[in-house]
Amino acid sequence: MASIATQESVVVPPRPQIRARRVAWGRVLLIGIVLAYLGVLILWPLLAVLQGAFAEGVGRFFVELSQPELRRAFWLTLVLAAGAVVANGIFGTIVAWVLVRQNFRGRSFLNGIVDLPFVVSPVIAGYMVLLLFGRTGWFGSLVEATGFRVVFSWPGMLLVTVFVSLPFIVREIMPVLQEVGVEPELTAYTLGASGWQTFWRVTLPNIRWGLLYGLTLTLARALGEFGAVLVVGGAISGRTETATLYIFGALEERQYTGAYAASVVLGLVSFAVLIGMEQLRRRSEVKR
Amino acid sequence: MSIVLENLVKRYGATPVVDHVSLEIEDGELFVLLGASGSGKSTILRIIAGLFPADEGTVWLHGRDVTNLSPQQRNVGFVFQNYSLFRHMTVAENIEFGLEIRKVPKAQRAAKRDELLELIGLAGLGGRNPRQLSGGQQQRVAVARALAFEPSVLLLDEPFGALDVKIRIQLRQTLKAVQRRLGVTTILVTHDQEEAFELADRIGVVERGRLLEVGPPVELYRRPKHEFVAQFLGSANLFAGNLQENQLHLGSLVLPVPPSPDDQPSEGQVAVLFRPEDLTLLPTNETTPVPVLGRGEVEGVQFLGTLQRVQVRLQPLPGIRPLVANYGQADVRLQVAHLSRADDHTEFPVGQPVSVGIQSFHLLPRAAPRLLLCIDETCDKEYIASATAMLPALNGGSVTVFVVGGSDAAAQQCLADARASLSGLPAVTFKARRGAPASEVLREVHEGNYDLAIVRGTAIGRLDRSSLAEEVVQHAPIPVLVVKGERSALRRLLLCTAGGEPGKLDVLFGGRLARRVGATTTLLHIASSQPQLVPAIVGEYPSTPMLVESPNGRVARHLEQGAQTLQSYGVRAEVKTRQGTVLDEILTEAREGDYDLIVIGGHLSTNAFRESNIAADVVRLADRPVLVVRGALN
Repeated sequence: MASIATQESVVVPPRPQIRARRVAWGRVLLIGIVLAYLGVLILWPLLAVLQGAFAEGVGRFFVELSQPELRRAFWLTLVLAAGAVVANGIFGTIVAWVLVRQNFRGRSFLNGIVDLPFVVSPVIAGYMVLLLFGRTGWFGSLVEATGFRVVFSWPGMLLVTVFVSLPFIVREIMPVLQEVGVEPELTAYTLGASGWQTFWRVTLPNIRWGLLYGLTLTLARALGEFGAVLVVGGAISGRTETATLYIFGALEERQYTGAYAASVVLGLVSFAVLIGMEQLRRRSEVKR
Repeated sequence: MSIVLENLVKRYGATPVVDHVSLEIEDGELFVLLGASGSGKSTILRIIAGLFPADEGTVWLHGRDVTNLSPQQRNVGFVFQNYSLFRHMTVAENIEFGLEIRKVPKAQRAAKRDELLELIGLAGLGGRNPRQLSGGQQQRVAVARALAFEPSVLLLDEPFGALDVKIRIQLRQTLKAVQRRLGVTTILVTHDQEEAFELADRIGVVERGRLLEVGPPVELYRRPKHEFVAQFLGSANLFAGNLQENQLHLGSLVLPVPPSPDDQPSEGQVAVLFRPEDLTLLPTNETTPVPVLGRGEVEGVQFLGTLQRVQVRLQPLPGIRPLVANYGQADVRLQVAHLSRADDHTEFPVGQPVSVGIQSFHLLPRAAPRLLLCIDETCDKEYIASATAMLPALNGGSVTVFVVGGSDAAAQQCLADARASLSGLPAVTFKARRGAPASEVLREVHEGNYDLAIVRGTAIGRLDRSSLAEEVVQHAPIPVLVVKGERSALRRLLLCTAGGEPGKLDVLFGGRLARRVGATTTLLHIASSQPQLVPAIVGEYPSTPMLVESPNGRVARHLEQGAQTLQSYGVRAEVKTRQGTVLDEILTEAREGDYDLIVIGGHLSTNAFRESNIAADVVRLADRPVLVVRGALN
């Protein structure tokens, strides 16, 4: 027994060293994998786009950006994104509040349906709008009678943009509402606050970080939407062409510099949104 | 009157969570609603605040009917258990919230805020964020916020529930001081009887949505009128006694009953309450100045400072029965309080033999079960006669005769017949309803807070569809007596036990029934999954040492405990085991032994596809009355 024990005690000391070296190798390997993966998937294409944009000089880059079609495309994109943010900011909050606070028949069904835009392809979403508002669609005659264009025009594009970005705000706010509980709202009622006062002074401050995070996600999604607006809008240059559609069109016409320049600007906007979102997330975590 | 509640009812689905609650609360009173969790006390509070609508009834605040007013219009201060401070506001902003909503000028708001901060002992902390405060401080702020706008009443829902003991005690004192100072009428909801005793001017005890009893703490503790209240407040030794000509008969003891101003029961079966301090411990050999309840030995001692709480185990006493037996214990266990004084050197080591003397006692009426007698569209005269004959044995406090199904004319005729045959009984109400019998009976069971339902069993052999009795047995959450055949006397009871929780319940319930009617019992166990032979008849307990060699130790223990339990009720018990299919063996034993009633534990059938329900099968196939036991023992 004693001899075995001494043998063991001889073997033990080198162990920590071996272990430390192994962990170090593993770390290096893992970091390397992460770098390579992100590099190939994100940094490399980014550099390629940047290089493409400035390949013919900085002057050409700005010339491409000053194309009126492109400026209109950016303007349309911003309008659609702003519309989606406003619409979903208001209605998404209402949907979330109703789903969490109200008990009614079909609530779980509605709760499931909210996620539909996540699982349905944007192209299909666009097609649904065509079916509804197209010339032969359900509301086609109605729309035609009023002379108000939906399909191949901005209202239809706004509609699909709102549709594809609907779940973000709902899904961000619902868990916050659940965590805060109904008691603060009930307390406000007993203190004399009306429903409206309670919303502005108690509910909204409680959910504000979740709401802001949801709004940023909505904005990012709306900026990058492609399939749905293509199907509904038809990418008519200068009229229903968004930034992403402009880039796609430019690539098809082999106007690479223009495509890359637009990509850089759109990428920068998205990047700014991303940074802003990250900042909000941090703040909301500190606040929670 | 600051707060008046009139017949409040609130239901979730068919189940009443608040059941006809009426209450009057004086100006400036601190009233405590006390009850177990889920008893409905918080719901009552929320109805007063207007956070829930009541299904029936009226709420009056300071003489104003507020039943249909919103919480905003009621001017009520409400405090939740989890403080519910507005986390994005400072302490000061929280307190001022109600005033700001009412557009009180800033200077006045600040004055009120400072006054309240001072009152709750948090002066100077107005600028803090709620997050920077401890739980106790947060709850003080919540109370200040609820008081700031000078509400007509203050409602507190388990306000100290989330705090640790030390803080809780401090906060109680703060609350009481603040409440006295401001004189605001207050209702506090709690499950903690210590808290209720300390704070309350009056306590209302809530159980299963009903307000059982209201009174000052001392009154409720010393002179409760309900067994539940006696047991819920403090510790209680409750015994079954008999009151005759102002003398209490407790086994062989006869105690004079002092005349009492309040309405104590005057004759017949009563419950006898000994609080631990009503009993006294004496050395066994001494002759005593007080009547002796019994002899036993010390089982345990807890030193509580002012007094010692001594657990004493008494040997079984002829004729002295605890009201509710502990399962598996023939011995009687008592809680006795002993004051420890400096000159007192009496010690009670565990195991020491002692006598327990009676210094005082309180009598309360026996809880009388509420019975639902269901009569279906056949309006079977024989059934009504048999069921009526059984009613005295069931000791019903009130009987509701429920006629269901059939045409209106038939139902009216049936009601008239039932009225004629039940005319001699007190406290009978009659109801009739149309519709599918099973679902109407189940609805009435859910809504009516009954303790036992009686239904008619259909003749054997109708296997095509499940009868009313089977439906009720499978879905009612209370015991159901199925009256079948021509028997109405209850002399021999067959208690079928399976060796699990329902088994305990049917032994306890069957035992109480047997005690009441003086029946003998047979405790039957069916060994279905054990192919080994077990002794067929083991004889009467405790003359034969029984079942020691049983193949299944757990079953043997369960049966032995069952027999002891029955013995502690003073009921003759025989133990039998049979081997075979459970259903067949129960039916065979019932026939062979010529029992008057089969008592069996039932499981609630929640799943329609469940293969079988033994209780329902017994109900279908037996040729005699069956009692299916389930739910809380009452």
